[in-house]
Amino acid sequence: MSNAIEIHQLHYRAGRTFEIKDLDLSVPAGAIYGFLGPNGSGKTTTIRLALGLLRPLAGRITVLGDTIPENAPHVLARVGFVPEQPHLDPVLTVRETLRFQAAFYPAWDWPWAERLLRQFELQEQQPFGRLSKGQKGKLMMLLALAQRPELLVLDEPTDGLDPVVRRDVLSALLDYVSQRRATVFISSHLVHELERFCDWIGVMDNGRLITAVPMERFKNGVKRLRISDAPPTPDSPPFVLLAREPANGTTETWLVRDWEPQMTRYFESIGAAVNDVIDLDLEEGFVELLRTFRSPRS
Amino acid sequence: MFEHLDPRSSTPLYAQIANRCRVAIAAGELHPGAALPSVRHLAAQLRVNPATVVQAYRDLEADGFVEMRQGAGTFVREVAPEGRARERARQASALVRQLLADAGRLGVSLPELQAAIAEEIGVGTS
Amino acid sequence: MFRVMLYSQWKWCRLIVVLGSVAGFALPLVSVQGAARADSSPLQAGELLQAVQSWGTLYPVLAAALGLLVAIATWAPDHRGRHVHALSLPVPRWRYVLLRFGAGATLLAAPVIAVTAGALLAAWGATIPAGLQGYPVALAIRFALAVLVAYAVFFAVSAGTARTAGIILGLIGGVILVQIIAGVANIDLDLFGRLQVVVLNWPGPLAIFSGRWMLIDV
Repeated sequence: MSNAIEIHQLHYRAGRTFEIKDLDLSVPAGAIYGFLGPNGSGKTTTIRLALGLLRPLAGRITVLGDTIPENAPHVLARVGFVPEQPHLDPVLTVRETLRFQAAFYPAWDWPWAERLLRQFELQEQQPFGRLSKGQKGKLMMLLALAQRPELLVLDEPTDGLDPVVRRDVLSALLDYVSQRRATVFISSHLVHELERFCDWIGVMDNGRLITAVPMERFKNGVKRLRISDAPPTPDSPPFVLLAREPANGTTETWLVRDWEPQMTRYFESIGAAVNDVIDLDLEEGFVELLRTFRSPRS
Repeated sequence: MFEHLDPRSSTPLYAQIANRCRVAIAAGELHPGAALPSVRHLAAQLRVNPATVVQAYRDLEADGFVEMRQGAGTFVREVAPEGRARERARQASALVRQLLADAGRLGVSLPELQAAIAEEIGVGTS
Repeated sequence: MFRVMLYSQWKWCRLIVVLGSVAGFALPLVSVQGAARADSSPLQAGELLQAVQSWGTLYPVLAAALGLLVAIATWAPDHRGRHVHALSLPVPRWRYVLLRFGAGATLLAAPVIAVTAGALLAAWGATIPAGLQGYPVALAIRFALAVLVAYAVFFAVSAGTARTAGIILGLIGGVILVQIIAGVANIDLDLFGRLQVVVLNWPGPLAIFSGRWMLIDV
């Protein structure tokens, strides 16, 4: 199975304004796939559709080789899911919650669950409802990892958590991924966090997937160029020109995609000069991409 | 040793990790035979993709700095003094290249830069 | 799986189940209090029947209350988490519903057993006047069925979304409102009476609740 998640022509509507249309998304097996997008872009809805929690209007969804929603229970036994909001029984203690989950997952690893319990410093006798936000986040990650899944689907798992807890949670996640070649599908709007370890990036905005590329291509491809003496209408550049803004005098700032170093020759050919090539980090690249995608380009 | 890895830098993360190791080995901080952290441990500690760590270690192995032993881990190899000196020279060149690039961007001329260097060195040794 | 489900259910329901069991055990004993002091004269028989009948009206109330409260407690954690947890578990939905139903039903066995024990104790311990008989087992069975029916009905209502429950409550509220308006306008409209007749008479399932609950009868 080459793709852990395969979504084809997904169509879903909620209310009068929210719609996901013609969504195609593939997550290669063994990848750590970062799912980015502003709030309300449809990340959580897409995740819920992928796991069979919601029914789509149209489209085909295949997770770990099985179709959703027909085979959802069979698939879910191999998927570790951390939802956006804490969803567990508030009355059960940490220990009782572990016992509850363990009963449903045949691959549950008790020694490792115990180790994570100590590592996360969770109080066993505390009811779930009385845990702090950070403790809830850690427990939910623990539950997802201890069932030894092939695929981890994490919906903003570090959202609202303090930096120390974020580190603990992500460390445990990457520890698991190192042990076992699990696929990770993690959604977040904390771009700088995903930058460290994702090897694929998918960006969602307003119900559409606007880009899905390997991380290196995304990071390296989007650049800011300082150009001087550029002609008003450049003809057929080898890169994708996303935006261009005047800086001062004859210099301009160009925002481009799919840039490669040898493309400086292009500017020589049109009589312009490249003063500087500025790298954008993932966050800036993401913001610029959204900006240009939202405003219609001439 | 691995503090302040910068995912935003144009240098890919695996290269940054490999670089830190090279510097440590060249400076003698990591002795021959010493074990580098396991892929699993380092990936979790730095919160990076395990593939990134593997690539860093492979890079180091290709340069002859370490040896990856199946099942046992990654160990520092004996590097001759010339090898270490070569690495230090490489690091120095990289620093100078960065300095010149930054100076160019700020509009500092070469004579101005050289004067500043001389002054700083003077200050350092006084 | 059933074990952990039962345990979590117990944690939510234990107060209800314990109180219900205490009440269920006490009810038959209290209803025949007079018989302990009886001297078997025909007048005492009439008083005994009256006591049994008036206390007997509490059985259907207890059964309905137990069914309602346990059903609500069964679905409470799911409603809180908006069913995300249940839907993310690797069990088909129908199986999950069955597990929940079974867990609640198992817990309801406790008050049923309590009523059975209380009824048996009351029927054997009391001096029953001539011409009357104790029907503890029949009463206990009837109580068990009533609890089951109430639980099943409220379980089905609770299992639905908040919207469905709201619709049902809205309908009930609507009927009450119409009744009130009819009363104010002096229109002779007995909606509840008609509903009662339709629903509670045999063969309606709720018929089990109607009629007299007699531990001791002719």
